[in-house]
Amino acid sequence: MKKGLLKITPILLLTLACDPEPILLEPGQIIADAGHTGVFVLSEGLFNQNNSTLSWIDFGTGKPDSWDTGNGLSYDSFEKVNGRRIGDTANDMLLYGSKLYIAVSESSTIEILDAASCSSLKQISLSRDGKASQPRRLAASGGYVYVCCFDGTVTRIDTVTMMNDATIQVGRNPDGICCTGGKLYVSNSGGLDVDNPDNTVSVISLSYFAEVKRIFVRSNPGNIYSDGDNVYVVSRGKFSYVTMDYDTRLHCIDTQTDEVTATYDLPILNMDIADGKAWFYGYGAGGTIQVLDLATGQILDQDFITDGTRVQCPYSIKVEPTTHKVYVCDALDYVTPGSLYCFSPDGHLLYSVPGIGINPNTIQFCDINVKTTRYTGPPEIKGDIDRVFEYKPAPGQFVNLLPVYEQGDDSASMALKCLNALQSGNMITLGGFGGYITAGFNATVQNQDGPDFRIDGNAYNGNAEPGVVWVSSDANGNGLPDDTWYEIWGSEQKEGRATLGYAITYSKPAANDGNSEWTGSDSRTGSILHNSFHSQPYYPQWYEGNSVSFTATLLPDNVTYENGIYVMSSFGYGYVDNLPNSPENSQFDIDWAVNSDGTPANLQSIDFIKIQNGVIGCNSTTGELSTEVSTIYNLNSKTE
Amino acid sequence: MSFDVKYCLIAICTLCFHLETQGQVLSDTMRTKDIPQVTVTSDRTANPRSVSTSKRADAALMQATGSMQVSDVIKYFSGATVKDYGGVGGLKTVSVRGLGASHTAVAYDGVIITDNQTGQIDLGKFSSSQTESVRMVSGPDNDLLQPAALAAQAAVISLSTGRPDLGDAKAKGNLQLKGGSFGTISPQVTAQFKAGKRNTASLQAEWLETQGNYPYIQEGAGSRKMYRENSDVKRLRLESALFSDIGCNSSLTTRIYWCQTGQGLPANIYYNDYAARERLGNNYSFIQSTLASPVNDRLTLRFSAKYSINYTNYVDPKSNNAQGFTENHYTEREGYLSGVTLYRLTDKLSASAGIDFRYSKLASLGDESPRPTRYTVNSTAAIKYASERLTLTGRLNHVITKEKVVIRQAAESYNHLSPTAGLNWLAWPAAGLHVRASFSNTFRLPTFNDLYFEQIGRRDLRPERASVASAGIVIENQADGLFYSVYADAYDSNVKDRIMAVPGKNTAVWMMKNIGLVTTHGFETGLEMRGAEGRVRPALQVSYTYQRSMDKTDSGSTTWNHQLPYTPRHSASAVAWIENNIVNASCNLIYSGVYYCNAYNGPQYRMPSYYELGCSLWRSFALDTGNLILKAECINITDSRYELVRNYPMPGRQLRISISIDL
Repeated sequence: MKKGLLKITPILLLTLACDPEPILLEPGQIIADAGHTGVFVLSEGLFNQNNSTLSWIDFGTGKPDSWDTGNGLSYDSFEKVNGRRIGDTANDMLLYGSKLYIAVSESSTIEILDAASCSSLKQISLSRDGKASQPRRLAASGGYVYVCCFDGTVTRIDTVTMMNDATIQVGRNPDGICCTGGKLYVSNSGGLDVDNPDNTVSVISLSYFAEVKRIFVRSNPGNIYSDGDNVYVVSRGKFSYVTMDYDTRLHCIDTQTDEVTATYDLPILNMDIADGKAWFYGYGAGGTIQVLDLATGQILDQDFITDGTRVQCPYSIKVEPTTHKVYVCDALDYVTPGSLYCFSPDGHLLYSVPGIGINPNTIQFCDINVKTTRYTGPPEIKGDIDRVFEYKPAPGQFVNLLPVYEQGDDSASMALKCLNALQSGNMITLGGFGGYITAGFNATVQNQDGPDFRIDGNAYNGNAEPGVVWVSSDANGNGLPDDTWYEIWGSEQKEGRATLGYAITYSKPAANDGNSEWTGSDSRTGSILHNSFHSQPYYPQWYEGNSVSFTATLLPDNVTYENGIYVMSSFGYGYVDNLPNSPENSQFDIDWAVNSDGTPANLQSIDFIKIQNGVIGCNSTTGELSTEVSTIYNLNSKTE
Repeated sequence: MSFDVKYCLIAICTLCFHLETQGQVLSDTMRTKDIPQVTVTSDRTANPRSVSTSKRADAALMQATGSMQVSDVIKYFSGATVKDYGGVGGLKTVSVRGLGASHTAVAYDGVIITDNQTGQIDLGKFSSSQTESVRMVSGPDNDLLQPAALAAQAAVISLSTGRPDLGDAKAKGNLQLKGGSFGTISPQVTAQFKAGKRNTASLQAEWLETQGNYPYIQEGAGSRKMYRENSDVKRLRLESALFSDIGCNSSLTTRIYWCQTGQGLPANIYYNDYAARERLGNNYSFIQSTLASPVNDRLTLRFSAKYSINYTNYVDPKSNNAQGFTENHYTEREGYLSGVTLYRLTDKLSASAGIDFRYSKLASLGDESPRPTRYTVNSTAAIKYASERLTLTGRLNHVITKEKVVIRQAAESYNHLSPTAGLNWLAWPAAGLHVRASFSNTFRLPTFNDLYFEQIGRRDLRPERASVASAGIVIENQADGLFYSVYADAYDSNVKDRIMAVPGKNTAVWMMKNIGLVTTHGFETGLEMRGAEGRVRPALQVSYTYQRSMDKTDSGSTTWNHQLPYTPRHSASAVAWIENNIVNASCNLIYSGVYYCNAYNGPQYRMPSYYELGCSLWRSFALDTGNLILKAECINITDSRYELVRNYPMPGRQLRISISIDL
């Protein structure tokens, strides 16, 4: 045995399972793999027990993320963060972008998680005609996640809106999905009709999201994989009441012709592909991992594990594509939390993590830093905003603080942080002139008599940082703010004191504590001064490139210097962060919205809102003027 | 349907039962001539001369515990574990002494009720108003006239409907109406009349309807109050019985039973609402006849015959299979003949022999189902010695089966022999202290589901074998109008060759296998006190059960020594009631300690302890025709929230009122 190996006996496992202690691996040494930050392991639990779990094994700390339930230690990061369980029989997991997607079959839901925090962003319930769809497997491409459901459908989920935007019909009880060459391949098992299974693979064009072909294979196709050129599908055949077993084949489908080009007589249950080879396990071989040459169908290695490690019941397998380390989950006896094993490319056990979850069925590498925090109770949702589409602040003294930027954040994760802040009554900053946020109301705001919505900020007398509001209605009904925007004209536009369409460009300072220089479209220049109160970089750290530009309505300069202090006076009406928060001061009327020529827009209702800082100003005492936004209310939601 | 019965005399079908309740210290061996007809009084719930632990719930106990279904009152029996999916319609099965529900036989008026498909009888289907008493014997029974099929079981729950007591009246009637929370309403009408000199007949019709939409709390991020869906039940039961005196001290009882149930199957609460659409329809009907005949001083015969049809219809209107829904029909037909002969060799020594023949056929729609038929022959031979202070019993049971299927291959025949033995000794007559001990070796046959269900069933299963050794004491006495009884029994039980679903050689396909071994060390104790006389008659019944049921299948397995699922180590119950001339009142409590919902006792499978407290008030008014009884009950007063079966919540607080009028 190699130095530093952990050998786990069943007895040890038992004690661990009863009173689990996190297994300390050697940090950064044997556990590190191809720059991944760790692996997620999804465990389906037991049917009808509602005990699917998600575990995070951090390669940095060398241990699984754990928490004390008060009843023992748990490795379920999902429950730790979200205060509830994933559901019943979580079948598949996929990390795509910054989000983790989980298909929960018996609960008939898709969980969308922010991978970095494991917090659930959205739970999509999938049903058709009141019938549970039973999502089974996931695939992703081109900004969409595709899920095949046991009700004979494939549903497409938009990763930005996190909504299912289209569903198509395929064969019966699809049980596998993979994506390659602009096409989706879905294996139609028909497994719910034991005596009459399906025998087709549906080919779906991604560009049309429509089925273009059905390939005939042996009965009951299940797991399906792609290596880029070919698609491989496991066909289980019809159950034989003589042998009381299935008789499995592996089909190879050429993705150019979409024809079956080869069929191998192999008892494959599950496999993973790297470099033209497949590491697989079957049944009848007592947990043996074998290696297959996919081009020839020849077994290259009858028994991959060379050090005598026994995997009792392999339940999932993953091969790191570059290092060829092989990760295998062991379901043990199906009722006990199983183990994760990591093998070196030559089949030696490097380490194992016992007690990871019951029936661990999916392993997912992750390159994002994951940090979980314990759930503390349901957040009280304030206001009526449920989506933040874009958060694009200009440089400012609160930028990277409200909300906090952390290493690895991108525009999507920052938008999510803004949503969390707005929903919990916390403030976000728009930074200097031009910075903006785009958000969606949880219900359409009807234009009624009097004020229709309210936006709170942090203004007080002599400290106004007015922001301009734009509104839009979801005219095309796609849930996205890609419809016409209408500006809300407040007192300054109305009186002709504002400059419409003023463009500004900020440059990224060389040093973290440098000033951000700006140039306006009228050749004015200035800078966002770094002050002593806030030491973090003021330039948004998730922006790419060395400059950022905005076009916005420029309101008149509202800063005066009186008796040694800077006074930032308020405008008449119609701006965010302009007057101290009060129902009267913070309210807006949809009737104030205008067309680009200033004529009334006469909107019936709005769905989206955009708030943009409308003032340029900076002084040595209070820094630059930056609009802050807290809660946004739909004033007409109660009266509907 | 007509059945001509010309000759009638004394009912002996309930004789064995009467004997037990008489409390004659002398001998409970069959002595027909000496036995006067007795009305069952509620002065005793267990027989101190029994070699096994036996409990009995009479009408008073059922009143005091607020039991609406038979399963409710069994929760107050020590040694019994009721698995309950909640609500009126939720499946309720009883496991005795850690043996599993399939080892518990249920008899209705002395004739066994079987379900060869699942091996389990839902005790929620029987209402407490149709039963006069419920008796549970956890081991060999003293009764030598027990039919062979019942004698071969580890534990027997006997439901007795009682027999009409008309006195001088030509006819009597009774109307009952119960109503309660969650849209529950249940009227019942009973008519009893004399038909000729020697026949007494009874007719009963009961309707039960409930919405069952009780609230529960869905835990998770922010608990939500939800309402149970699809848990409605509608049930109509029609029953008629003819008690005939056929001369020579012989009696013939014939019963026709017809019960139609339509109900929803509430889902696991973690499913989305749209998952709870499954419906279950059931029609259980039978005709059974029992002839009990004491031929002479020494010889007694007992014959029973039964024909039953159990039709079950399951519909899942939202299945994702090819036709878009699932509909299964199962019809199990059964013919049953039983005969027992008891012979009194001497005053103290008796012997009996019995044979049961059963034909069971399961028909289900679909070409791929095997449609099995099973022929079972149970035979038994027993001997009993009963002196003033000592009772000894010994019994040998034998079973032989033959099975046929329409397609595929049938299971092999079973041929099994199993013994039981018991002892009861009145060690201290003055104190009424008995010492008792028993041993039983029993088995249960694999069910049709075990053998043939789709890919899971395996035809090569062996019977599951149970053995129980039990010893204890019971003290029963009466002082100053106060009857009291205390018992304590310790037992050791083993279930070998447990039939369980395990992954097969293809780990994707599970299969049934004889794999488990479970050992239980148990202890049960109880106290019962009843004030029999006086204007104020208090009563108290307390029981406690300790069960350590360990998985002993494989010492290398992670479940080694883990507690059997759904089996609390500690459970207890208490009922106290007081009867008087103003208003009767009762208070009842059930407690269960921590248990697990999985063979692996991990924290994620731990089920917290719970208790349920109830109370009721009732009063009986004397009418010319009989009694008028008014009753109000509150079940689960504290609104205790618990689940007996994981993710199937039990109802919270409920109110129920009932009225019963004799006509």
